[in-house]
Amino acid sequence: MRAEKVSKASLLWLLFTSLLLLVSAPAFSEENNNPDAGLVPSSLDLEQLTELRCGVKKSPEGIGITSSENGASGLGLQRLARKEEDEFEDIPLEPLEFDEEEEIPGIYDPLEPLNRFFFHFNDKLYFWVLKPVSQGYGKVVPKPVRTRVKNFFINLASPIRIVNCLLQGKFESACNELVRTIVNTTVGALGLEDVAREKLDIPPQHEDLGQTLGKLGLGPGIFINWPFFGPSSLRDSVGMLGDYFLDPINYLVPSTKENLAVKGYRTVNKTSLTIGEYEKFKKAALDPYVSMRDAYYQYRREQIKK
Amino acid sequence: MKRTFLLASLLILYFTVLGYGISMAGAPMDQIRETTDKIIAIVTDPALKGEQYKEQRRRLIRQVVDERFDWYEMAKRCLGRHWRKRTEEERAEFINLFEELLERTYLDRVEGYSGEKVLYLAEKVRGRHALVKVKILTKEGTEIPVIYRLKKNGERWMVYDIVIEGVSLVNNYRKQFSSILSRSSFQELLEKIRQKIKDKERQNEGGKGE
Repeated sequence: MRAEKVSKASLLWLLFTSLLLLVSAPAFSEENNNPDAGLVPSSLDLEQLTELRCGVKKSPEGIGITSSENGASGLGLQRLARKEEDEFEDIPLEPLEFDEEEEIPGIYDPLEPLNRFFFHFNDKLYFWVLKPVSQGYGKVVPKPVRTRVKNFFINLASPIRIVNCLLQGKFESACNELVRTIVNTTVGALGLEDVAREKLDIPPQHEDLGQTLGKLGLGPGIFINWPFFGPSSLRDSVGMLGDYFLDPINYLVPSTKENLAVKGYRTVNKTSLTIGEYEKFKKAALDPYVSMRDAYYQYRREQIKK
Repeated sequence: MKRTFLLASLLILYFTVLGYGISMAGAPMDQIRETTDKIIAIVTDPALKGEQYKEQRRRLIRQVVDERFDWYEMAKRCLGRHWRKRTEEERAEFINLFEELLERTYLDRVEGYSGEKVLYLAEKVRGRHALVKVKILTKEGTEIPVIYRLKKNGERWMVYDIVIEGVSLVNNYRKQFSSILSRSSFQELLEKIRQKIKDKERQNEGGKGE
């Protein structure tokens, strides 16, 4: 969008990121002495790739699921439950006893009137433009095709995820993300098919610069509800700007007009797959603006914790 | 003598703690699973399919949900510091309206059930409180982490908060209520909820577009 104006900023950004890397590298290197971490796979042998997959290896169907499979996996469940116990470490049981006066954390919102204005703007934009266009598009283009288009754009944006995994010292995730990109771009036909998720059980690692900055201890600052982009914070807006330079779309389609067109299409395609979500959210909320602001705050806090 | 006593008491302590642990293990998770299974059974029951059974279906789901949700606790936590200032009648009315609103929201969600799987991952129990962690797996392969917060009421574990992708329902409503109450009276808040429920009714009658 602002590709012409930003060359100076991009230089500054590069400087900033390399500085970040320098600062964070020694801190992270100590806790990450896993020999597998950060290794680029030497060949594309699927077996080996599954080996490279990091974290808890879960069997997607192995855990007791709905009614029919209850009894059979009781033991497995217990074992899994114990293993996952650690995952609760950062989720406090509190407030165990209800404390009326306790203030639950939230995000500072000095721009509320302006943010509310743009909330209504985006709301109208959705119901008057984005929704009808996406619905029309969805009627013409079948769902499997739209899912592939979505996959393509997700795969295309993988540099953002890889770099931010690295910046956060998540070398295993970075490696997973790299494996995903290689497999999906080749076997998955330029990312149209998410082979990595379906066959290798490696889901995308949703990391962005806002989260990286959050990991480094930066708070969200203030809440900003952007026109078109929607809810964000000061920190996450800086992150969005930085991620802009990691998004290949902005290099593949540098001309502002075409760039906007491609991104508009990406949005329409994505929206066509989630129609009804925003409506449900609004139906449940008494003050949709406050509900969205808080949901954004809580959601980002959780993402940064991971 | 002293030693045997110590040993015996240690043994008793050991067994009571262990016994307690065994009898308690899995209880919150099992109860959540039981409720989830019941609801899935209702929404997938071929005998209840179709528009003409909608009311019956909804009534059955409500029944199951009411057995598992602690509306009093949920409403109280959502009001936060405003709870104490309310009279018994105001509280009762608030709980009723809030329950109605949440049930409708919940019903809308489960009615859209399309073969999502629920993976039961972990539970954590401390005294009368517990957390149960599950993961909802959509057909597209998206994973939605959900945590139930529960409180023990007799032998039943009752849900008082649901945390979806890190977003706590109670905290979210609490922020909304406190924002509304900073500008309006409690009666106006009640009126707002009533209006919301009415809107929902109208939308549901109008049918939903895909």
